[in-house]
Amino acid sequence: MRLRIKGEKMNQLIHFLKLAFRNILKSRRRTFVTLMAVGFGFASIALFQGYIHSIYEGLRASAIHGSGIGHLTLYAKGWEAHGKSDPEAYMITGEDIEKITRLARQNTHVTLVSPRLSISGLVSNGKTSTIFIASGVIPDHEKKIKGEFYDYQPINGKPLDSADEASVEMADGLAGQLELFAGQDGVVMGATLSGQMNAMDIHINGTYNTGIADTNDKFIKVPFSFAQSFYDTKKADSIVLLLDHWQNTDLVREQLSYTLSSSNLSVEFKTWKELSLFYKSVRNMFDMIFLFIFTIVFIIVIMSTTNTMGMAVIERTREIGTLRALGLKRRGISFLFAAEGGLLGLGGCLFGLCLHTLVWAVIRYTEPSYTPPGNSSPVPLTVDFLPQSLAVLILFMTGLALLSAILPARRAARQNVVQSLTHV
Amino acid sequence: MRLIELQGINKQYYLGQTPMTALSDITISFDKGEFTAVLGPSGSGKTTLLNLIGTIDEPSSGKILINGDDVSKMTDNQKSEYRNNRIGFIFQNFNLIPVLNAVENVMLPLQIRNEKTQVAREKAMERLNQVGLEHLALNRPDMMSGGQRQRVAIARALVTDPEVVIADEPTANLDLATSISIMEIMQKLNRTEGATFLFSTHDQRLLDRMNRLVRLEDGRIADAPEN
Repeated sequence: MRLRIKGEKMNQLIHFLKLAFRNILKSRRRTFVTLMAVGFGFASIALFQGYIHSIYEGLRASAIHGSGIGHLTLYAKGWEAHGKSDPEAYMITGEDIEKITRLARQNTHVTLVSPRLSISGLVSNGKTSTIFIASGVIPDHEKKIKGEFYDYQPINGKPLDSADEASVEMADGLAGQLELFAGQDGVVMGATLSGQMNAMDIHINGTYNTGIADTNDKFIKVPFSFAQSFYDTKKADSIVLLLDHWQNTDLVREQLSYTLSSSNLSVEFKTWKELSLFYKSVRNMFDMIFLFIFTIVFIIVIMSTTNTMGMAVIERTREIGTLRALGLKRRGISFLFAAEGGLLGLGGCLFGLCLHTLVWAVIRYTEPSYTPPGNSSPVPLTVDFLPQSLAVLILFMTGLALLSAILPARRAARQNVVQSLTHV
Repeated sequence: MRLIELQGINKQYYLGQTPMTALSDITISFDKGEFTAVLGPSGSGKTTLLNLIGTIDEPSSGKILINGDDVSKMTDNQKSEYRNNRIGFIFQNFNLIPVLNAVENVMLPLQIRNEKTQVAREKAMERLNQVGLEHLALNRPDMMSGGQRQRVAIARALVTDPEVVIADEPTANLDLATSISIMEIMQKLNRTEGATFLFSTHDQRLLDRMNRLVRLEDGRIADAPEN
């Protein structure tokens, strides 16, 4: 019985949707203008969403792999607050490095565990000296962490060599200042953790561009063991973890926090997102631009749908009176006009989807590029095709158009039947 | 058998700030199966009277009983259902839905009450056949003459088998020949279906076809012989 009633309701629903659809087709010019407004709004949101998605993907990969911070970084507890003033006390001991490595590897999402030690001091070519900052990394791990980015940052010369502790990669800005080239030697000087002066020979295996002007005249990459020797320690200041997928970052953080604290290892975690300030600031900026564009489109869709439906209500006043006289309830009138608004929204979204797909295909085919501020070379303009986001956007904008039509629809439903029937 | 009873009906409305009396102390009844015309000059209250009986307007005071049901106590939704099930309307300007064809227009009251499409279509075609328009079933109103449109409106008014059909100046926009043919159709349906027909009209040429004439003057009943 209930199924039969549902079937009859569905019957009525289809009938009134058909009526709404025909009314939309009746006012072609007005419908066309509304479809254009919704369609162009939809396409602009969808394209921008696809664009910033590709930017976020690129920035995320660049942060995790390009800058080599991995997905998770572990520090000894208190490193962030006190590590600068008393580094030795807040570094991870050699024994703890082994324990952490063993326990972290037991987690199925962890693909690499790599200790790091940053050092700083003076670097000299024998005549001139300047400051440097160096990251002590395990050469074999570095290639794995970099992944695709390993090829993006070409080395002029050879990469770090795990068999040669003194081999280093020097940022080409720094190498240029010191007039050093791949294959030449230099000296680094600085204080050990205990405060003794130390100097070590380096052999410049290769030079590379960090891509950022602020770091390109300071950076050196040295083998982890070299950094330990330079500071005369067996400790590391951090341990970088590479995971199977970035989406597992929070999960692994939670799991390892429990595992390591259960083994009396007092550590603190930083995710790639927390460490990459650039990612955060760029994301904030694009999110704000997106919100701005979205708000404009939001207002356009509401105003054009409300206007179209408002005009339809005025034009069809007598029709509304007739339907009411024939027994259609107020909610039926509301439904009819709201359905027209919803159908307009859906039609606009489908037009927008076609427009979006066309522009997306043209971008893919023509492969345009642009040079972002701070970059020395152009980057390709890419727009991701995001079926799930498009589906959500269609639902949202159709719903928005439907909601925009509710106000005129309610006005239509509240009209006096006698006055509607005599409307001219 | 009494079908409609109006007891002490008054209707006032405001034209700007000025109160106007449309109907004053109307007490009248209509029997089942009547074919009655409400006559009177413009502004005499004919349309207001029919609107009140049709439950699309409310009296300022008084009581309207249709088949014993006090319609003035009904909610808006109940009145809508009441109209859909028991009252058929025929308008001076036909008031067909322009985007629907003839058969879809006739089906409309049935679809408002959730009738199955197939059943509604069959009933609508039957009514179109009765008014001689089955061959124009798929034509939209703009492809039909005034007389044809009014015949579609008659079919629409009767498709729900109503107890009362209210026709407000149904022939006002038609030529004499068409008006007579429309009246003949309604007379025939009145006889065969037993539905009560209430008209408002100015047209003296159609009055000899009526069973009963109710005259209104200045919102009061001037003459209303019992049927």
